[in-house]
Amino acid sequence: MDALDTTAPGATELTATINGKTVAGRAGETILDCARRHGVYIPTLCELHDIDHAPGTCRVCLVEIKMKHADKTHLVASCTTPMQDGLAIDTRTPELREMQRLQVELLLADHDQDCATCIRHGKCDLQDVAQFVGLRQNRFFDPARVAARPVDESSPALIRNMKRCIRCQRCIAICRDGQGVDALIQINSGLDTAVGLRHGLTQKNSACVTCGQCVLVCPTGALGERDETDRALEMMYDPELITVVQFAPAVRVGFGEEFGLPPGTNVEGQIITALRMLGASIVLDTNWGADLVIMEEGTELLHRLKERKRPTFSSCCPAWINFVERHYPDIMPMLSSTKSPQQCVGALAKTYLPEKMGIDPARIRVISIMPCIAKKDEIVRRQLIHDGVPEVDVVLSTREFARLLQRERIDLKSLEPSTFDNPYMSEYSGAGAIFGTTGGVMEAALRTMYYVVNGRELEHIEIEQLRGFEGVRTATVELGGDIGAVKIAMCHGLKPTRQIVEEVRSGKSDLDFVEIMACPGGCVDGGGTLRSKKAYLPYALKRRETLFGIDKNRPVRQSHRNAQVQALYRDYLGAPNSEKAHHLLHTYYTDRKIEMTQTVREVWADIKMIGKVY
Amino acid sequence: MDQAAEQSCGKCTPCRMGTVLVRDALDALRHGRKSPLDLAAIETLADQMTATSMCGLGQTCARALLAALRSFRDVIEAEIARGAQPEQNGLAYMTAPCIEACPSRINVPRYIDYIRDGKPEHSLGVILQKYPMAATCGRVCVRFCEMACRRKFVDEAVGIKTLKRYVADQQSGDKALKFGRELISQPLGADMRVAVVGAGPAGVSCAYHLLLHGYHVDILEAMREPGGMAAIGIPAYRLPKHVLHSETDIITELGGRFLFERALGRDFSIDDLFARGYRAVFLAIGCQQGIRLGVEDEDPSVPGYKSGIGFLLEVHDHVAGLKSVSLSGEVIVVGGGNVAMDCARSALRMGADKVHVVYRRTREDMPADSEEVEAAIAEGVVFHFLTNPTRIVTGDGRITGVEVAGMRQTAPDGHGRRGVAPVPGTEQIMPCGTLIAAIGQQVVKGALTAEDGIAFDRWNCVAIDPLDLSTSRPGVFAGGDCASGPSTLIHAMANGLKASRSIDDWIRLGRVTFQPRTRMREILNDNKMLADDAVEVPVKPQYRVHHPELDPTVRKLMFEEVEQTISPEQAYREAKRCMRCYRTYSVITERAIPEAGA
Repeated sequence: MDALDTTAPGATELTATINGKTVAGRAGETILDCARRHGVYIPTLCELHDIDHAPGTCRVCLVEIKMKHADKTHLVASCTTPMQDGLAIDTRTPELREMQRLQVELLLADHDQDCATCIRHGKCDLQDVAQFVGLRQNRFFDPARVAARPVDESSPALIRNMKRCIRCQRCIAICRDGQGVDALIQINSGLDTAVGLRHGLTQKNSACVTCGQCVLVCPTGALGERDETDRALEMMYDPELITVVQFAPAVRVGFGEEFGLPPGTNVEGQIITALRMLGASIVLDTNWGADLVIMEEGTELLHRLKERKRPTFSSCCPAWINFVERHYPDIMPMLSSTKSPQQCVGALAKTYLPEKMGIDPARIRVISIMPCIAKKDEIVRRQLIHDGVPEVDVVLSTREFARLLQRERIDLKSLEPSTFDNPYMSEYSGAGAIFGTTGGVMEAALRTMYYVVNGRELEHIEIEQLRGFEGVRTATVELGGDIGAVKIAMCHGLKPTRQIVEEVRSGKSDLDFVEIMACPGGCVDGGGTLRSKKAYLPYALKRRETLFGIDKNRPVRQSHRNAQVQALYRDYLGAPNSEKAHHLLHTYYTDRKIEMTQTVREVWADIKMIGKVY
Repeated sequence: MDQAAEQSCGKCTPCRMGTVLVRDALDALRHGRKSPLDLAAIETLADQMTATSMCGLGQTCARALLAALRSFRDVIEAEIARGAQPEQNGLAYMTAPCIEACPSRINVPRYIDYIRDGKPEHSLGVILQKYPMAATCGRVCVRFCEMACRRKFVDEAVGIKTLKRYVADQQSGDKALKFGRELISQPLGADMRVAVVGAGPAGVSCAYHLLLHGYHVDILEAMREPGGMAAIGIPAYRLPKHVLHSETDIITELGGRFLFERALGRDFSIDDLFARGYRAVFLAIGCQQGIRLGVEDEDPSVPGYKSGIGFLLEVHDHVAGLKSVSLSGEVIVVGGGNVAMDCARSALRMGADKVHVVYRRTREDMPADSEEVEAAIAEGVVFHFLTNPTRIVTGDGRITGVEVAGMRQTAPDGHGRRGVAPVPGTEQIMPCGTLIAAIGQQVVKGALTAEDGIAFDRWNCVAIDPLDLSTSRPGVFAGGDCASGPSTLIHAMANGLKASRSIDDWIRLGRVTFQPRTRMREILNDNKMLADDAVEVPVKPQYRVHHPELDPTVRKLMFEEVEQTISPEQAYREAKRCMRCYRTYSVITERAIPEAGA
């Protein structure tokens, strides 16, 4: 066996043919990679190149190969078979096309085909591939086969419907290798094979942190958010209710493509117009909440630094909070107690806002539009519900918001942009705007903390050294005054996060402040953002650039200079971390670690194996 | 096809769906019902499964069907026309090269698959079906499975042992899978007692299975702790004692009893056991007496002379803190097996200045694992191949050296094996303070006497029927090293399972029954049906993970475990390398096959 250098594709060139045409292949690449480079289309389903996932399970990407000096041909899956010198590859023989068609027909034989009711309708990879292979008949489908498949509706955030699973295992791969959470496992065997949660737990009670990255990679409607569009519409249509809608920093830069605008377009103004058309009474900006969080969290952090308590972890990401409570409850004392921007806006929209506007708080319903599904978990935390009244009533993911506009036939692209008009809770600084991307919270916090310590503004407020894109970035920043140098880190994605947490727990870390965003890239690529077919996070950097652009063009770029935030402290809260601020804007965490032991009896009962002794 | 549908891992499309569709169609045809698919559609599906499935299961399960459809189409059509057909007799057997290579027939692809699925507890469950000592086996197994692994045609064999250790270690301590009496589905009456003599791997494994069958089992052991050769013969740097003991504890958790410091021949006889009411006896007393070198002036009582097994016992007591032993000067170990390697590496750790291994053949001929030899070399052991002791030199009443002679390889014999012969005039004296003779072991003399009624074979091992492990005395079965001569842990544990089946049959029925699956394996073996076939299509190379190891210069001074467990990430990656080389074989028989145990 020749030693192939798989680490450097392109290192060795080899010659092969695809459909009779000579192509230059690279040692170590797959037939599928090579065909794609040469513009030859092979239908695929389970494979997802962006996360290096090619389990070879769907068996749709079949090609016929003949090796050098061989006299017979073989059918192989192109996604897993490496190129070889002298390989003759055929991708379009009649037999192949027939087999690909049969494969998709077999896939549909135990797949819930109630497409019209599916959350993924029209955006489904399986529907696409059925078209691509020219499927004309569906002989084997038997609804009885899917009737007993599990549908897990326990979670407020995520619905897992195994009637629609095609066993591509992308969700397991992203949860295990991408995020390092490893909550998902393969359950059962044969026809009953499905994706489940470790130890047979329900979605709600499992090690899952509902970051939602699995939803982004699922090719069908097997994984999806809990759809709350109806509840949101009911509130907005009810004349007795005053609906307050807020939307997150990242939503405005990750929404336009649904309506044919270039990815990364800032559609803030169109969203405001659309919300007013839908019937929202008051439109607020979560960016304002972000500015407020900086005031609270920054003050808290300066306190902790003076007390030499370190590190402090940011607390605005709800999937991160789930991760701590589920996996590392021992670090809960290191979490900032400041609520997330969504909850700060929610809490004040039912207290400060009605007081200022002279309305009955009981009539207020808060709806937030978030690039996130863990936010749905967050609003039902018992710490954030007071006397049965939640701070935020409904969370719509970006995807649901898109669905809502489609339902009302609102074409975002043709709308005239409008501006926020609420005088209390809608103005924002550039610092609040960049909350939606990795490093943004940190940069915003440093701008304000520097001011607090030194009594003057930081000179170069765009802190370039924080703006990289690696999973973990560390830096030392001179805050001056009695604080001096602080060591900071920013993590995005839970796999690098776990690494940092382990370092902190082992006592090897000397960090002072750590910003964590559970989703790779931060909120702009959150688990509630629009899904892309056959791609993973393709627009991360474009969305990020737009956020930095918004920051650059804001007249005010520091949270502490936000006039509406200043007014809040002057008229209502007093000072950051005041007693009233604590009451409204801070929270606590609970240990929800999962400890399971299993018995041999349970395990044996679940093993299906011939030659089983017991 | 029924079995294939049941066993399909359900990940790849053609196998998951094809097996079910074809099974249902064939079932309908056999019962004379209208089939959802005609023969042409069945053939198309069978073709699709064979040609496009991901692994051997889907690729092979429809082959017989396809051949039948093509060669006997008219017969089949005529049968269908006649209506319902009687159920066929026969046996379907699904296996893989690694399963067949393993003496315990562990379903290797299944347990690797469970790792891939994210269920290490299920993976361990698969192993526990066959024996309780998974973490032990995951450390010291000689890996027949890896020798048979077809991945080696692509790059390297899958790290099967490494993965076994991973799942066993992952489920240890607080996270250990819980055993308990509730595992025993049918507890038997108080008189259903079995005596197991010897608490080594064979005895422990036999007791484990008998306990699970509901018997009351006592293990009588000459030493004061369980484990047998795994406890004394394997040094702590390869198998920490707490790992071994956590696994022998399973016997107690299942309600079994260890009776320590009871030696057969010294404290009781076989007759005594039957007199005490045991219904059957399993002899697993091992081979714990070293064989002498057979050279001039050999006197085992002279200070400085040790047998390999005797030395390992001393090492064991030293590490256990029972009796401190120190070693200094030069040590010569004679032998080329794993025991010799264990002696050499232990001698370094006990303080020897220099350790030599003297072996009469070449390095390639050494029966020891090559990893063990490499580890010994890395730690500084000096090897002398084609060298044989001829005389022992003593002075002042203790050993001062060994006279050795050079050897040469003779021409290959009829079997292609080359012998060795001394080269005259090459004798020289190697000075040493300690000589360890590690060339082999035998059953301890006096353990079994003529009154016990147990016959020995010509190698001085307990004579057994290899099919059911019965000895010359009814109700007494034997296995492990005492029946086979010094052999591997996995063989001993396989014997334990086999003996438990025989004993169960013997007690319930008074005879040992036919094992259809054993017969099936014989048929496969006799017809060489599982010969290594090359991998026909290209597979992406992906080299195997290796255990993190302690540095040789540090580790050679201590008895802490040298190899460490791999990480979950490494385990997932390694598990993906398995190609699941399942094959399905079926035989059709004229009459119904008697069930095992009936």
